[in-house]
Amino acid sequence: MAPKDRRHQEINNKIRKIMKNVGDDILIQGIMPSLEIPKVGYDNTVWSDEKRMLTIGNKTVQIGPNSSKKIPTFAQYLVMANAIRKLLDEEMESTIRGMYYATLSTVGDEKNQQKFWSGQDDSDDAIKAIELLTNVPREEFSVTSKPKGMISGPITLSVGGDLIDCNLGSRATSQLIPTNIRDLEIVKVKADFVMVVEKDTVLNNIRKSGFIQKYNAILLTGSGEPDRATRMMVKVLNEKWKKPVVIFADADPWGLGIALRYKIGSESLSYDSDRLVTPNSKVLGMMFSDIYEYNIPKVARLAATQEDLNRANDMKKKPWLQDKRWKRELNLFLEHKEKCELDAFFKYGFKYLADTYLPNKLREAGVI
Amino acid sequence: MTSKVTTEVLEKGTKQVKTILQIAQKQKTKIRYDKKAESEFFVDNSALAGFTGERILYMSVRELIENSLDSCEINHILPVIHLRLKLLDGLNDLWTISCKDNGIGIPSEKVPVAVCSFLTSGKYVEKQQRGLFGVGLKMIAAFSTKDTDHPLRVWSKSEEESQCYFDLRTDIGTNKPITLFKKNVKNDESQIEGDSGFKVEAVLRAKLSPVTKNKIYDYVSQTSIVNPYAIITFETDEGKVTFKRRTEIMPNPSREVLPHPYDMDLKTLKKAILNFMNQKTTLQGILSNSFQKMSNDKAKEIITRAGLPIKPADKYDEHELIKVVNVCKHTKFQSPNTDHLSPIGEKILTVGMTSEYSIILNKETGNSGSQTQLSAKILKPALTAYSSRICIVNNRPTIVECGIAYGGDIPSFKLFRFANKIPLLYDEGSDVAREVISEVGINKMGISKKEVKEQYSHVETKSDRTVEYLPIHIFFHICSTKIPYKTAGKESIASEGDLKKYMKSCLSDLYRKVSAQIRRELKLKEDENKLRLYKHYIPFIIDAISESIKIDSKKLSIAFQNLAERYVSGELTNITKQIFPDSNQKRNQINNKKNNDKKNTVNNDNGNENNLNKFDTRTSVPKHGNKTKLDKINIHRKITKK
Repeated sequence: MAPKDRRHQEINNKIRKIMKNVGDDILIQGIMPSLEIPKVGYDNTVWSDEKRMLTIGNKTVQIGPNSSKKIPTFAQYLVMANAIRKLLDEEMESTIRGMYYATLSTVGDEKNQQKFWSGQDDSDDAIKAIELLTNVPREEFSVTSKPKGMISGPITLSVGGDLIDCNLGSRATSQLIPTNIRDLEIVKVKADFVMVVEKDTVLNNIRKSGFIQKYNAILLTGSGEPDRATRMMVKVLNEKWKKPVVIFADADPWGLGIALRYKIGSESLSYDSDRLVTPNSKVLGMMFSDIYEYNIPKVARLAATQEDLNRANDMKKKPWLQDKRWKRELNLFLEHKEKCELDAFFKYGFKYLADTYLPNKLREAGVI
Repeated sequence: MTSKVTTEVLEKGTKQVKTILQIAQKQKTKIRYDKKAESEFFVDNSALAGFTGERILYMSVRELIENSLDSCEINHILPVIHLRLKLLDGLNDLWTISCKDNGIGIPSEKVPVAVCSFLTSGKYVEKQQRGLFGVGLKMIAAFSTKDTDHPLRVWSKSEEESQCYFDLRTDIGTNKPITLFKKNVKNDESQIEGDSGFKVEAVLRAKLSPVTKNKIYDYVSQTSIVNPYAIITFETDEGKVTFKRRTEIMPNPSREVLPHPYDMDLKTLKKAILNFMNQKTTLQGILSNSFQKMSNDKAKEIITRAGLPIKPADKYDEHELIKVVNVCKHTKFQSPNTDHLSPIGEKILTVGMTSEYSIILNKETGNSGSQTQLSAKILKPALTAYSSRICIVNNRPTIVECGIAYGGDIPSFKLFRFANKIPLLYDEGSDVAREVISEVGINKMGISKKEVKEQYSHVETKSDRTVEYLPIHIFFHICSTKIPYKTAGKESIASEGDLKKYMKSCLSDLYRKVSAQIRRELKLKEDENKLRLYKHYIPFIIDAISESIKIDSKKLSIAFQNLAERYVSGELTNITKQIFPDSNQKRNQINNKKNNDKKNTVNNDNGNENNLNKFDTRTSVPKHGNKTKLDKINIHRKITKK
């Protein structure tokens, strides 16, 4: 049974092509099959001046059943590819965890039995490998992750034809950003700009204060590390709907990393930057320098952990973080060894963040 | 008197208390100086000879087998030993133990003392023998006398004598034998078939725990490893096993030698002089005739350096003689000779290692509950190696022998320790061999810890020493007339003098010797693991492909399996680079290159082709591998011919 969707047919053809090549290698050529996959990670991540984002380099890895370590990996990739093909044939969708369960099994005889996947990380890696092999993002396979991004503000979405107005009058809730992006469409955007914050707790505080209505803004959060749908939403709003995007995260290396995820991309998804990164977005806060400019009370500052310091030192070395502004901020952090969360502004009153800090920053940046 | 003491105590308390104490002490310290018979001493201090509660039967087995082997080897007789251990009376823990050999036997008039009187032995000479003290058999006799009313039954036939039979008990109080009954054995009642031999049967009261029982089994099977020229039959309530004779080569018997001057003391010197009492020999002559490595000139030099006047040898007093002893300690002599030692030797140990018997208990569950059945299995290793060193420990020449058996039927690591051909089974943890094994790195075998752990990840070992992951048996044999035992029980050897250094160099030497083969074995193991991985994962791959595209899955599966086998055997060296989504041109280029490579490889090693021609189970692969392996090792080929 072939899927009706033409795009799905294309993907399935790509998967069949992989299978055919492997089969031909074995049957016709009589050689060990091998899959060449672009290498993902720091040493194959390249900064593109032109695109102003992280992109993937030329390095590749060979995955073939030619070493004890790669035999299982090779089998895992093919099993996952076949599972994706089935998913598309059946016109179903699944989360990455669902794919893990769909392909669970045990390997070996009674004496040497082990699990096919040692954990979901393994199956997530296999899904990534199929994305790289087919050059198709997994959302197109209808394989998604659990939604965790949230959006609030004057924007109307269409999800599979159902209209959702995110300008919720109650100020009491936000809309989850759906991860099945193939079914997602932005219908109408009335906002003047888009503000991304790191955490949902901060988003809730800002929304409750009436910030959306006062400044005609869309509020967005990835609830920590943003998923792909959230990143794509930000990009589309910025590039298709021409809305300025500003980003606020905690003043710690982790928060800065998340903010930069939106702006320049990440090493682990460098192959998909074209779809996910918003180079025109502005990271406005919270800067390490803000701790001292806004004189955050000592009691609300946190001591940096060794992990934080290591992370900051790592970041300093990355070729794409040689910008003076980031270097200055990182050095400030390494010098004072203090970090601070956006929530720290609550120490000045629950409305201080939305009423004073954010407008100040936005005015400085000329957004309002 | 009492009242007087009381008043005095009241008057000058402490002094009086002292006096009373002194009186009391005087009464206590009255000591009777008795002479204790040797037999009584050893029965009271049985631990000195290792006869402690749990170990009585183990020690008895040990002593009897050792006596029998010594008795055969002394005249170069290929030993045939029959050992029996049976429960006689379970209620009273009575066991019958008997041992029969074809050794030289004991002359009939000497039998009672040789069996029952402690410290009577034909072995008090300077040469290597298993037993030395004349205690073992006597201990069995004394325990039997002490704990039971059964006599010790003895059959003996020494050369040119007819077979005689004795019922014996020990008079523990006087160390004298009691002969209850004695007769010449008629032909139809004969227990000893050959020209000579000895059989003893005793009843002992002892408990046998499963642990000790296993030690006895271990002892017998390990004895057969170092005595592959002996036929040993072992019979218990659980069944009967026979360790066959695997070679007719026997080690050269050890010869009695003169003491080395380094070992001279006042006692040995006086004894030497006494030996020459009746002949008019000078001290110089006595020295050169009584000690090895002592020439006439050397003896003269020593006497001169000691500053002694010339006079008849028996006229020197102890003050003069001690000077001779002292001078000897500071004089350089040639190293002592090793004629009095009897190492196992490369040939015999190799036979032992390649045909190692292990006793197996098969549990059979029938109608009458579970029953154990004894059987013996030969473990054939894939390769063996041998190395030895002669060294001086404690001024005594000592021979260190070391052997390795690897792979094949050997399931896991095991250390075997022998001292003068006696297996040591207890206290392994404190033995010098243990230290030696921990301190010699396996990198000398040319393999890394990581490789070993990868290939043998399933091995369960309490130790983190890498060598214990390997299926390897390591054998150490120390022979010397004075083994540096750690304890009186003679179960572990201390790291004395340079012993450890020599053992280490021996083991390192062996590791190097086997490195090439072990590497090959490990490669084989790796291949085996790889083939297993293929076997387990290929079905997943085939399913994924055949569900996605139209393809003959059976044909594909067979082709893939063949491919995997060829790949593992090294026939297929390169893998292609498959470029995705597709770039056929590049693909073809690589394929062409690949075909060329393939031609080269095939030309280079034709021999490898048959190495692994069967894909499939784990058992079939190593067997095949071992066959080719064995041919490559000289030692093994010789044995196979025999």
